[in-house]
Amino acid sequence: MSFTILKNTLILVLFLGFVSVINAQSDYEKTQSFKNKYASLEQKIKDAKSLEEVDALVIDITSFKTDFIANKPLLDKTLYPDNFTSAIEKLENAVELRKGDFTQIVDLQTEVGTLKTALTELNDQNTSLLGQIKDLQFSQKKDQSTINSLNRLVASLKANIKERDELVKGIVDSLLQEFTTSPSSLNEAEKTAIFKKVETGNLFYNVERTIGDNIQFMKVTTLTADDLSDMKEQYKEFSKTWRQIGPKLSQIYLDQANRARQIAGIDDLFRQWNFRINNEIWSSINQAFREKNITLMNFKNGDDFTESVTTFIDDEVKNLGVKRAEESKETFYTFTDSVWFQQVKPNWVPILLENNLLSEAQKDSIESRFVQWKEKVDPGGFTSYWLYIAVVLAVIILALIAIMVIRRNKKTEPKIVSQEND
Amino acid sequence: MKSKAFFLSLIILGTSACSSIVLQPADYSWPIENVLKVDDFGFVSETRYTFKINVKNLYTEEFKDSTAFMGKELRIIRDAKGYYYATGNNFKNVYVLMTQENGMKIENIIPVSQAGLKSPVMNQKNSSIELIDNGLKTNFTNKGIEGK
Repeated sequence: MSFTILKNTLILVLFLGFVSVINAQSDYEKTQSFKNKYASLEQKIKDAKSLEEVDALVIDITSFKTDFIANKPLLDKTLYPDNFTSAIEKLENAVELRKGDFTQIVDLQTEVGTLKTALTELNDQNTSLLGQIKDLQFSQKKDQSTINSLNRLVASLKANIKERDELVKGIVDSLLQEFTTSPSSLNEAEKTAIFKKVETGNLFYNVERTIGDNIQFMKVTTLTADDLSDMKEQYKEFSKTWRQIGPKLSQIYLDQANRARQIAGIDDLFRQWNFRINNEIWSSINQAFREKNITLMNFKNGDDFTESVTTFIDDEVKNLGVKRAEESKETFYTFTDSVWFQQVKPNWVPILLENNLLSEAQKDSIESRFVQWKEKVDPGGFTSYWLYIAVVLAVIILALIAIMVIRRNKKTEPKIVSQEND
Repeated sequence: MKSKAFFLSLIILGTSACSSIVLQPADYSWPIENVLKVDDFGFVSETRYTFKINVKNLYTEEFKDSTAFMGKELRIIRDAKGYYYATGNNFKNVYVLMTQENGMKIENIIPVSQAGLKSPVMNQKNSSIELIDNGLKTNFTNKGIEGK
């Protein structure tokens, strides 16, 4: 009996001793443990990839608080300049802020989802409109009602393309805002948000479609100088944004070969779009000359254009005497007055200059050729004006002299009569 | 003559009164010890309480080896009275230190382990410093181990 009591007492003493050893902990270690767990929670908040993860962290913070509440008096002193309460509050605030980020992402995803639906509808409508326009163009029926329907379809397509372009540009712009920092400094959560936005908005497909439809639109319609100017402006804005966003997206999609190829493909599409717009501008200018039976050598840039015009003028000068003088004069006045000064200069030259397709020096060089050309084609053209003026002036002077002479004669006649009466 | 003596005694009284002004009470205690890495030149520096001190002599005294400080960690805590207590792994003693001009003076050496401490930690207690090593607790003040 007494042996059992002794044994139990010994066990109790050993147990208490063990508990005492367990409880013998350094205040320094307790503080370090708090700081380490705190830092770990802070990092988890930053790295959270979803609202669910953030919600789980809220529970972790509550449990962390409970685990260390017993050490509050110690931590209040050791967490200088913070204390236990302010440290926990900082964590709680950080988690709330992170929640806000994800709520915003959810809102953006909803917005992008809505845009996606609108984009799909517009894409479908555009395909249908392009098909109808092509059908009408190939149709044998070219009556007024067909032409009117064609014009209506083109107008709808133009409006649709513009609307869709704005939507896609909106997505790209909003992505650009996300990229205010370098992709390498984006954390995983931010990268995930961008992935989601890109994929949900079907960005790559829509950018491809935007450029593709614009190119198709140029193919099926005849565009005015204003249309092409607008399109060029749109291209410049869109490609500028893409140039900012494309390399960053390439970095994000570095490990996805197909996406990287798609990004490179979009860069190429932008080049095609620009080439097509420039081509269309040069073709329209050439068309303006052709409509007046002036055939210039083909040109696709400012140098070619200047050379083509110069060559044409040189040829015309060389042919003086070979062609009839009236014919040469007619070509000159048609070229300069009807085409250059009436159409090309007011409508196309500003676009060419604004987009660096033609330099001021090239424009001046062309116009200086006109003066030389005129001197050869119509040398009297300028002096004859003076001759006319001189003749008119001479006639006026002669008329004045005649009037004065007549008046003088009228005044002298009554005087003679009066003398006779006397 | 009397007035001169009076003024002289006033000056003496005033001077002696100034020299005996003491600001009390004070509490210099740190809530927890600090674990400071000794650098290659034998210095430890503390950022919260901002001091930097060379501890080579402490290691030489403890280990009889002038290079013993290299790569070591020194645990330091300060009590309410302003005494610093320093020890570390393999130390047989806790050193009680007090600041003096441009340094610290060893005021007391408290023997705590004949074999050397394995993983000592020090905690601030109400009127003493608690040393825990391998689960064994020892409390001491600047005068020595309590209860001895």
